[in-house]
Amino acid sequence: MKTRNRKADAKTKNIAMRRIHTLLNLAKETKNTDPTQAQRYAAIARKVAMAAKIRLPKEHRLLICKHCKNLILPGQNCRVRIRQRREPHVTITCLNCGKQTRIPLKKKGS
Amino acid sequence: MKVSPDVVRYEFIGTEAKIARSSQSSYVGVCGKVVDETKNTFTLLDKEKRRVIIKDSAVFHFKFPDGTIVEIDGGLLVGRPEDRLKKTIRRLW
Repeated sequence: MKTRNRKADAKTKNIAMRRIHTLLNLAKETKNTDPTQAQRYAAIARKVAMAAKIRLPKEHRLLICKHCKNLILPGQNCRVRIRQRREPHVTITCLNCGKQTRIPLKKKGS
Repeated sequence: MKVSPDVVRYEFIGTEAKIARSSQSSYVGVCGKVVDETKNTFTLLDKEKRRVIIKDSAVFHFKFPDGTIVEIDGGLLVGRPEDRLKKTIRRLW
């Protein structure tokens, strides 16, 4: 049976996390001056996350559209609204592809 | 920053790079911020001008955000940014 080297795995994930942070912060900085470059940084960050099998950190997860995987920033190319109908939720509309992402506001089990 | 063979797995986009030695004489002395990376090249922003540098042909001096300067042979950095994450090299020094 193949045993996975847990220590090496944790190291890879640690490096990956740092790389994702630098790339997405860079993407946010360059978004105004060079949108295509910023989009490329976001794509690399996502690929690094996939290679290391980690989720994007929460503060960055919402910056990438779930449908078209583009970098979206509130006020620039996405619309964020709080909706009260049905369950209270936040709706993020990506202005690139026009699709919506919903995030429930109620915590699970409350 | 502690330098270990793991530096080949770090992120180079956003660092300051300078070319120390190269088999291509026009590359020597090019310095600037790394703005892009592909499997075989780095793109440096040298005085508002984008320069595409073949990784395998040069020895780089990278300056990381915390100020450490590391000299790396570009041949070790060949590979797409996401594939470099799992690259391991034998200790060379």
